Amino acid sequence: MKRFRPATCVAILLAALITFGWLAVPDRAPGARPYEGTTIRAVVNAEYVKYSLTLVEKDLYDTLGVKLETEVIPADAFVAKTLLEFNSGSSPWDLIMFGPSNMPDYGRHFEPLDPWIEKMKLNFHLDDIVDVFRKVMLRYNGKLVSMPYDGDIHIMYWNKVAFERPDNQKKFKAKYGYDLKPPKTWKQWDDAAEFFHGWGWDGSPNKLFGAGASYKPSGSGYSYHWWRERFFAYGGNYFDATMKPLINTAAGLRALEEMVRTMPYYPPGVLLFESEEPKTMLVKGEVPMLCSWTSTGKRVGNPAESVIVGKAGFGIVPGAEIDGKIVHRPPITPGRGMAVSKYSKKKEATMKVLEFISLPEQSLKIVMDAKTIMDPWRVSHLRSEKFRKLFPDADKYLDAIEQSFPFLVPDPVIPAADEYQRKLSFEITEALAKRKSPKDALDTAAKEWDKVTERRGLEKQKAFWGEKLHEMKSLGIEYRPDWAAKAK
Amino acid sequence: MSTVATATPLVTVRRVNRHRVQRRLAGLLTYLGLALALAFFLGPFFWIVTTSLKGNEDFFAYPPVWIPSEPSLTHYGRLFTHSSGARYFTNSLVISSLSMFAALVVSLPTAYSIARWRFGGGFLSTLLLVLRMLPAIALIIPVYLMYKLLGLTNTYLGLVALYTVVYIPFAVWLLIGFLRDFPVEIEEAALIDGCSRLRALVRVVIPIIAPGLAVVALFAFIATWNEFLFAIVLTGIETKTMMVLVTSFTTGGTDQFYGEASASVVLGVLPAFAVAFFLQRYLVKGLALGGTKG
Amino acid sequence: MRGSALALKRKQWEPLAFASPSLFLITLIIVFPLGYSFYLSLLNFDLAVGPDAEFVGLRNYTEALLRDERFLGSIWNTAVIIVPSLALELLLGLLIALLLSRVIHGRPIVTALLAIPAMVSPVMAAMAWRMMFGVKFGAINNLGRQLGIIDVYFDWFATPFLSIVAVVLVEIWHNTPFMMLVLLAGLQSIPQELYQAAKADGANAWQSFWFVTLPLLKFTMAVGVMIRMIDLTKIFGLIFILTFGGPGGSTETVAFNTYLVGFKDFRMSYAAALSYVIVLGVLALTLVFMWISRHREARAA
Repeated sequence: MKRFRPATCVAILLAALITFGWLAVPDRAPGARPYEGTTIRAVVNAEYVKYSLTLVEKDLYDTLGVKLETEVIPADAFVAKTLLEFNSGSSPWDLIMFGPSNMPDYGRHFEPLDPWIEKMKLNFHLDDIVDVFRKVMLRYNGKLVSMPYDGDIHIMYWNKVAFERPDNQKKFKAKYGYDLKPPKTWKQWDDAAEFFHGWGWDGSPNKLFGAGASYKPSGSGYSYHWWRERFFAYGGNYFDATMKPLINTAAGLRALEEMVRTMPYYPPGVLLFESEEPKTMLVKGEVPMLCSWTSTGKRVGNPAESVIVGKAGFGIVPGAEIDGKIVHRPPITPGRGMAVSKYSKKKEATMKVLEFISLPEQSLKIVMDAKTIMDPWRVSHLRSEKFRKLFPDADKYLDAIEQSFPFLVPDPVIPAADEYQRKLSFEITEALAKRKSPKDALDTAAKEWDKVTERRGLEKQKAFWGEKLHEMKSLGIEYRPDWAAKAK
Repeated sequence: MSTVATATPLVTVRRVNRHRVQRRLAGLLTYLGLALALAFFLGPFFWIVTTSLKGNEDFFAYPPVWIPSEPSLTHYGRLFTHSSGARYFTNSLVISSLSMFAALVVSLPTAYSIARWRFGGGFLSTLLLVLRMLPAIALIIPVYLMYKLLGLTNTYLGLVALYTVVYIPFAVWLLIGFLRDFPVEIEEAALIDGCSRLRALVRVVIPIIAPGLAVVALFAFIATWNEFLFAIVLTGIETKTMMVLVTSFTTGGTDQFYGEASASVVLGVLPAFAVAFFLQRYLVKGLALGGTKG
Repeated sequence: MRGSALALKRKQWEPLAFASPSLFLITLIIVFPLGYSFYLSLLNFDLAVGPDAEFVGLRNYTEALLRDERFLGSIWNTAVIIVPSLALELLLGLLIALLLSRVIHGRPIVTALLAIPAMVSPVMAAMAWRMMFGVKFGAINNLGRQLGIIDVYFDWFATPFLSIVAVVLVEIWHNTPFMMLVLLAGLQSIPQELYQAAKADGANAWQSFWFVTLPLLKFTMAVGVMIRMIDLTKIFGLIFILTFGGPGGSTETVAFNTYLVGFKDFRMSYAAALSYVIVLGVLALTLVFMWISRHREARAA
């Protein structure tokens, strides 16, 4: 015993010394840069987000004198770990990245922005933020608490080679009785997927695939986003006014049945694809069409990897034809925001940093970089001449994004939103893997949703949902029980 | 071991020939089997190493190339400059080394106590077995809360203490085996010479079971190096380990950062190779002495 | 008994003193938090709701065992992965150990090389194999296409069955080396005289394996299997990186399910209850296993 204690003590001492050595932060020295010497700690959920922040790091230091120290917590533990810290009433971070669908469970830990805007005369260029993001992504309890960082929505990409080859057009017309064109409805999409699957539609002898998608239930549930694109076009909604789930209605069932039926036309591996894999297949010319995040466009236009530079089309996600009119329902999927921690001891500097990285020209650098996977979220991003000339047809790509904005469907942003989504996403993949019938899967999901609602308190959830229902109505989204049968 | 056939001098020439053919064949099959096993067990490492060395040209090439035409260390470079790879690697090294040391220091006397005096009866060994069964998730929340109270989150001390404890059951279990095997007479002689028990342990026992201790120590090093759930929850930016870095590349589809991801995997498996080479001779001997015997 | 002479001379406090550093640490860092964890399992603590929680008694346990079909399903999934993994690891490990024991030159280095996968973390193993299996950049698909065996990608995770095969394959890659090491150690402790005696009795190689090696290796095998079984019930890293429990829920193991509940649904109390259920299950399993092996030993004697 006696002999070992000193050894342990030395070890502990050593460890402590090293730790404290690294904790030391230089003192703040005033100068031309108003916050010279300040280090702001940001926390993000992946290495590529950290990478995106490095794009503005230098300007940030030159202007404000602030250094950014970015911690990466892997996405699959991110929210739990940060919540643990927040719940203990402190946090080592000043600037926090978050998924907007977590806002109801997260927002109470954020510092409201309005008082600071007034006090420090900050300018977040709120008018320049895309309308729908400003409406649904930035507020907690009615207070402005965050700025967008990554404006995720889905648009449709297609390979013009597939759609414009005369041979393909002839064959398609003969088989389906109408002209081969980039699909406007999900019916047309499914036809095209079936048509293209399994042969060399680019004229090569390769066996190519019908369409791309991501069906892994990780993150906030990839398969759920793809299901939702159809579900809302068929008149669905998350809940009715009494919090009864509407996912297992005719609209939901039709959407899921179509997905299950068309599974064979998607590439092998689709059940475990996350966001990037199908994008790779698109830019390598292996899938003719894909609904995906707007960041995909940057990869499409990157000649280092893409074989379809200048040969890609961009448009709004397919919809459904209801009474002769086509209804599009592209999803917000779900994006990223940045906020200032309520527990930060450097709120003033952090506010300045948030303002700086959100500046139109600074955030443009982030959303324009092909490697960041960050999507445009300011109107000025979409209209920027630099961005519009970044690669061939970049202007058409940015127009397609802007064209989608009026039709976007937000996530069910109420407490436990993320859990609702993942439970549903899981059941959707159960059906896609043919372990359950679509009906069974959706019924189970609805039951799971009821359990979540019950656990979180029916009345409380109802109140939150009531607000969202109102918000969705203002966006033109309502439950239409008759659409599922009508939709073409 | 493979001398089975040599002890039979009285056989006819034909039988010798047949034996020789059989032996050759058996030898051939043995080496063939081992070659296959080596290919299977080392193949994936070959693949991640070549992937990590691909420059951008080869990287986006399709179909992928097997051997990069111009090996480049770009991905490693980026890992170290952009992703604080150097810091995380150092952290992993420091934390693993300290835990290794501490685990040994703490486990040896305990194992001695159980091996020599049957301390705790069956209860202690059962307890240790149960501890080995615990999933990390059962501990993580309470440990986090406790560490937060004590100010131990995001410190080396906290992690080292935790990893030491988590490794104790396995270390003790192995060490008991070594100590039971240890000829008590030698120790007795030392005790009669007036050594204290502790002195005898340090002066007499340790040198003799050193190979076994090396095995235990390096296994502890590896186990600590490899842990990631506690590491994610209990570390902050100063104390993050390699395993956390690797998992930061996995989400959202790795395609964009495939190179960095593979480079981080290579760095993450490096110690396994190092330990395997250090331990070559003791690997089996250590386990043979240890817990696998009654 | 060898220890007895020494045992007489011991001072009363010595055994406790020697064991106390680890006992102290274990109590502080494991037993005490575990107790707290049990208390937590009786609450409804939810990270997303906040630090305040109510006492709900055993409700979490009844939910887990009676109402949570996904958790109950994950028990089955775990078993489906464990059983073939254990069997194949034992067989392959034994085979390789036997092969190794026939080699004289370079045995240590070959053994060490073969042992490497066992020293790699599950996350690393899974990452490496994800890069092997991948449809686009994966080595296996790549090789298959270049050899002309497959014309499109082969998806290792297309169906529940295939997915389980893939997970078991990686698990075998990862942990057969451990089994091999343990069995090689066991093989080496079998006295050579026994083989010579068997030979003198006219036993052929097969017979000496069956009647000498196998019976003497039984205990080692039991130990190896038990360690692997305990660790396999915790299988998480592989699933987390390779399949995320999919496709559908076909490879969602108990540990992975618990992770989802705790880290994704933020239901810390429920996750604590689930981990207690798991530990008790594993404990029961281990006791049964020990009882059976002891029982059979006794019968054999």
